[in-house]
Amino acid sequence: MRTFPQAQTAACPRRRNAEPTMTQLVGPLRKELADSLFSCRVLVVGAGGIGCELLKNLVLTGFKNIEVIDLDTIDVSNLNRQFLFQKKHVGKSKAQVAKESVLRFCPSANITAYHDSIMNPDYNMEFFRNFQLVMNALDNRAARNHVNRMCLAADIPLIESGTAGYLGQVTVIKKGQTECYECQPKPTQKTFPGCTIRNTPSEPIHCIVWAKYLFNQLFGEEDADREVSPDTADPEAAWNPADAAARATASDQDGDIKRVSTKEWARSTGYDPVKLFNKLFKDDIMYLLTMDKLWKKRKAPLPLDWTEIQQIESSQEESCGMGLKDQQVLGVQGYTQLFRRSVETLRSQLIEKGEGAELVWDKDDPSAMDFVSAAANLRMNVFSMNMKSRFDVKSMAGNIIPAIATTNAVIAGLIVLEALKILNSDFDQCRTIFLNKQPNPRKKLLVPCALDRPNSNCYVCASKPEVTVKLNVHKTIVQALQDKILKEKFGMVAPDVQIEDGKGTILISSEEGETEANNNKFLSGFGIRNGSRLQADDFLQDYTLLVNVIHSEELEKDVEFEVVGDAPDKAPAPSAPEEGKNIANGNKDSAQPSTSSKAAAEDDDVLIIDSDEEPSSSTMEASPESSNRKRKHHDADDAASKRKRLDQQPSDDDEDIIALD
Amino acid sequence: MIDTIEKEDNIISEEEAAQYDRQIRLWGLDAQKRLRGSRVLLVGLRGLGAEVAKNLILAGVKGLTLLDHEQVTEESRRAQFLIPVDADGQNQAQASLERAQLLNPMVEVKVDTDAVESKPDDFFFQFDAVCLTRCSKDLMVRVDQLCASRNIKVFCGDVYGYHGYMFSDLGQEHHYVEEKPKVVKGSNEANDGPEAKKGKVDPNETTMVKKTISFCSLKEALEVDWTNEKAKSSLKRTPADYFLLQVLLKFRTDKGRDPQPDSFAEDSQLFLQIRDDVLETMGLSSELLPNTFVRYLQMQKLMGGLDAPHRNFFFFDGLKGSGVVDYFGSK
Repeated sequence: MRTFPQAQTAACPRRRNAEPTMTQLVGPLRKELADSLFSCRVLVVGAGGIGCELLKNLVLTGFKNIEVIDLDTIDVSNLNRQFLFQKKHVGKSKAQVAKESVLRFCPSANITAYHDSIMNPDYNMEFFRNFQLVMNALDNRAARNHVNRMCLAADIPLIESGTAGYLGQVTVIKKGQTECYECQPKPTQKTFPGCTIRNTPSEPIHCIVWAKYLFNQLFGEEDADREVSPDTADPEAAWNPADAAARATASDQDGDIKRVSTKEWARSTGYDPVKLFNKLFKDDIMYLLTMDKLWKKRKAPLPLDWTEIQQIESSQEESCGMGLKDQQVLGVQGYTQLFRRSVETLRSQLIEKGEGAELVWDKDDPSAMDFVSAAANLRMNVFSMNMKSRFDVKSMAGNIIPAIATTNAVIAGLIVLEALKILNSDFDQCRTIFLNKQPNPRKKLLVPCALDRPNSNCYVCASKPEVTVKLNVHKTIVQALQDKILKEKFGMVAPDVQIEDGKGTILISSEEGETEANNNKFLSGFGIRNGSRLQADDFLQDYTLLVNVIHSEELEKDVEFEVVGDAPDKAPAPSAPEEGKNIANGNKDSAQPSTSSKAAAEDDDVLIIDSDEEPSSSTMEASPESSNRKRKHHDADDAASKRKRLDQQPSDDDEDIIALD
Repeated sequence: MIDTIEKEDNIISEEEAAQYDRQIRLWGLDAQKRLRGSRVLLVGLRGLGAEVAKNLILAGVKGLTLLDHEQVTEESRRAQFLIPVDADGQNQAQASLERAQLLNPMVEVKVDTDAVESKPDDFFFQFDAVCLTRCSKDLMVRVDQLCASRNIKVFCGDVYGYHGYMFSDLGQEHHYVEEKPKVVKGSNEANDGPEAKKGKVDPNETTMVKKTISFCSLKEALEVDWTNEKAKSSLKRTPADYFLLQVLLKFRTDKGRDPQPDSFAEDSQLFLQIRDDVLETMGLSSELLPNTFVRYLQMQKLMGGLDAPHRNFFFFDGLKGSGVVDYFGSK
């Protein structure tokens, strides 16, 4: 048996001045590239799953000047993959600990860590211009949109990436040459109509959303758009249109349900769990039952009674050693007890915090999670749905995306390979690369696709971006324009808005306090009407958007505005391919950290991640997920783009079109 | 070993549940338990080995043995992130131990400083899976053969520059399960509403479908007969990386090391010559070969018995950004 002797390092000459290992480490790299790695400055946005792997890869490849930013702190659930962190680091800043860990195996690296949000105005165009390259390692769309704009503004190449479970992708964004992150519309998180949540839930997710709303109404920041009480103005409940109008007026005026806020009522009872229980799961349900039209074609809800439940034999609660404790599905009695215990705990938390205190929903806070799990399940029971374990409720309530180390490792490796191409000015070699779970019919697990040119109608990177928004000028207030439209929908961070009325009337100023008086006024009060144009600027992002206003009084219930040209929000869940892209784009619309103590109210709109039914393409060996990706990315070879089936022989196996179904 | 879960392994501790939460949500509790019962051998602690070690340890295997007889050099230290800066001269596996263990204290990480060639057959029998990096062809063929007899899974892989390969032999009868969502058609009595009319997929209602698949030995995979007509016609769809692998393995056997950028002139000449020899022996044209590779390992899915494993080679081309799964050997 021949032994495998040591590498003959003695025979290898070393250069004295430059890092001796550049060409040895990554042999194929030429000296010029190796030198540019040494001198260039890069920014890594995010120090989580992808971030940890990426930092490791960057320093091992020879990048010397790295800045990393992350607003989050370390949680124990990060430890299965964010390998720069250990148990003792839980609670500390991710960026900071990541830097320290990396320095331990590469002390000569020059790393700057920021425990901060990339959306902080301190990180302006000038800041971004310090870097030759920016790499995202994010988990939410708001931050991605923002960094996209900053990189466009500063004209710095951006490598974008994402992972979810076994899937991942990497792509390159360069102003003027490729699509930007916002060139193609991405489906927004699915939202449910108010009456579904409040009156007629039909799926567990509706009950979970309701329970989260309830948490906020009782313990957190109350939100007028997220009521939990029965919706008397539900159009479905009315037998005739006049009736509907009457109900709507009645609920505004009379509002036994509306006048006293849920929180005030709870406070008046001292957050008595029994009283709460009976109101939510008995009295309110009985009220719903009086809206009999709702139950003509639906199974009517069955109210619960506290006293009756106490008398049920508690036989369902044997603990089973086989599964996780969290994966048990309790019985009604179990969830009733859980409800009581969690209310009591949350109540004491509120008291402890003092007058006017508010709790913030956090999936990792045990009592908050207990509460939502209990309340959601009780509601599921009321509406005759199969109840769910806390484990499953947590997945849905917390928008948890399953994650492992290896997917992130692969993606981070691909990011560095793209980075090398960029620094080497081999831009035409850059690709979008998809990582699938199973090989496609062309046997590819990693699928490179050519980058697309910018969309000339992109509302972000087009030369003069413009959009058209349909809304009711008499019912939309300035604050809603700012928060829901410009910030949430169009990704601005600090908008300035003027009306194109010949006078340049300033509607919104990003300077605090300047236009506060306008916030609660209706747009029509400023002369805004059908056909008006608004100029919205975000100076931080160096972004100007022209908004054309169309006045409409015929928007759907619960819909405040519509962007003309957008797919409707409530369209059926996108087909697998788009979804594949978006799964890996993150589960959150907002940029709040997972473990922050100050999450915004809009933090966790629930996103359905589960896929559509799998198509039964039995001819395909590859899994439907990969074979059905309808990517528009085109082969370098134009003729190939016309081919639909890949059971034909490719003439040149360079890059592939993915099989279209 | 991993087919039977020992009694004590039935219980997942709170600590494990919290730490492994995100991966349990991906591959399920059962797969996590199987991982937790697995003992793995990893040969070679350079860049590739360190990555594999990290991934296996984070996944939560029962034990991982790091085997490497070589000493740390400046080059090897800079190739991976487990070896401390002041460890030059120490054994590579030994130097990697501390940081490897810190990745996950719940895994038993051990070190073996012997050369893998010197190990007797029964050394390998204590493991459920074996990963070989930087090994000679003969060694890999030998280990693969003796592991097959014991249903021990074998993975081989190497990286060179922008290219890499991985080979897996999961035995003649590898069992796995695929989770398929159940489609609930029509109305079920709980939900009589209009929404229940279309078939709904409830992500919680799944059904496990059992499957079996077979793998050939490494020897068979490397000794494919290219002279018959069928093989010749499949040549067009055959990744060149397969032939590159053959050439590199021969280079390694003949020269005792891999081609080095620093001895580029000498090595490239030898490389081309070996390429000509190897392809000629196979009855093939030298034109088949221009490139090289890297590697990727997916041990977790395999150890959990979940999902169809990649069969039986994976080739990565870093210049193209493509990763291809292909099968070589008797079908």
